[in-house]
Amino acid sequence: MDWQSRKTGGRIIGEPKGRVDETTWEQFSAHLTGAVREARDAGLPLVIDLKGLDYMSSRGLRALTIAKREAGDAVPITLAGPNERMREILAISRYDKLFKIVDDIGSDG
Amino acid sequence: MLVRFWGTRGSLPVAQKAVQITGKVARCLVAADGRRFKDEAEAIAFAEANLEFADRATFGGATSCVEIEGADGAFLVCDAGSGLREFGLDAVGRCARGHPRVYHLFMSHLHWDHIMGFPFFAAAFDPEAVITIHSGHADAETALRRQQEEISFPVPFDWLRASFEFVTHAPGVPFDAAGVTVTLEAQHHSHDSYGYRFEKAGRSVVYSTDSEHKLDNMESEAAFEAFFGACDLVICDTMYSLGDTVSLKQDWGHSSNIVAVDLCHAAHAKRLALFHHEPTYSDRDIARMHAETVRYEELVRAGRPALEVICAYDGLEVTV
Repeated sequence: MDWQSRKTGGRIIGEPKGRVDETTWEQFSAHLTGAVREARDAGLPLVIDLKGLDYMSSRGLRALTIAKREAGDAVPITLAGPNERMREILAISRYDKLFKIVDDIGSDG
Repeated sequence: MLVRFWGTRGSLPVAQKAVQITGKVARCLVAADGRRFKDEAEAIAFAEANLEFADRATFGGATSCVEIEGADGAFLVCDAGSGLREFGLDAVGRCARGHPRVYHLFMSHLHWDHIMGFPFFAAAFDPEAVITIHSGHADAETALRRQQEEISFPVPFDWLRASFEFVTHAPGVPFDAAGVTVTLEAQHHSHDSYGYRFEKAGRSVVYSTDSEHKLDNMESEAAFEAFFGACDLVICDTMYSLGDTVSLKQDWGHSSNIVAVDLCHAAHAKRLALFHHEPTYSDRDIARMHAETVRYEELVRAGRPALEVICAYDGLEVTV
């Protein structure tokens, strides 16, 4: 699992790549928490660009919830560009009801 | 070993309503499309071959009770939910055919849905029955005695005729129960709960219900991966979706279908039985949850051996 983040278009964008499972979730969670703090300090929303992510298991999803709690109302979090596999996982887990999901980072209004 | 499910519903027993049965009959008739059957057996064969389980049968509504057959001259039973009543009646018949009247009950915890079958347990009234109640809780006897007090039930515990022994076990310390090695694992639940791992002749079954895997304590899941390690059948609390367990139903003490899959994957377990079904779920809801879990397992398998995901129902038997 790789992670990059950047500030662009008035948003902090986090870009995980690879997969998030029982071996990589702690790394993913640490990056997420860091991105939330960066977004909060900058007063910007956070977009997680999922297009480079193969999939995440429940540990990755739960890391998203930890990040959302860290963010509170101060940092809106959007998930962008999940592949078909991730879309299914988000639906099966009902995380599609907990997070705003958009087709790509360009469509996050 | 043979695992026999007598009660698979969580929290509260449920029963099918007339309108639900009528719906199932109607779906069978529509599927039959005017066919004629020479007898009931032929009609059943048609239904089993052509209709979804939820449309021709039911997952049932008795609360937690799972029998593990294969001990040396004794019944092994996990939990005393309302399914224990039917197990007890069936055991009467088996004892009449020569089975020893020796029972080992393994209590996950003492909440009502896991003990409510005990006052109706036929063996408790049998003066020749010997019943050992294993628990991680030191107050198991208190819970069962309290349930039989007059304010709740007309037959006090002391009127029961069987011989009882209550044994409290420490987690992680294996013990023998009629030739089966049993180990407890502490689980997160109100007033605690315990999972059980049963091992005999190289085969293993884990019973892990009413176990919440907390969001803020994912590091602790390594212990469950070890507890489920290479298990032939893991029976898991899969009451809710993951989304439910981290939102509305957080701290309700239960887990999700996909966390169960992930734990089994990491543990290299061979088969997962979805268990402790949400009482408000219809048969179709449970079937949908099962299908979604099977699909999730495929989506995150990533080159691991396939984990077979089955959905427990009252009456299901699984050979291990």
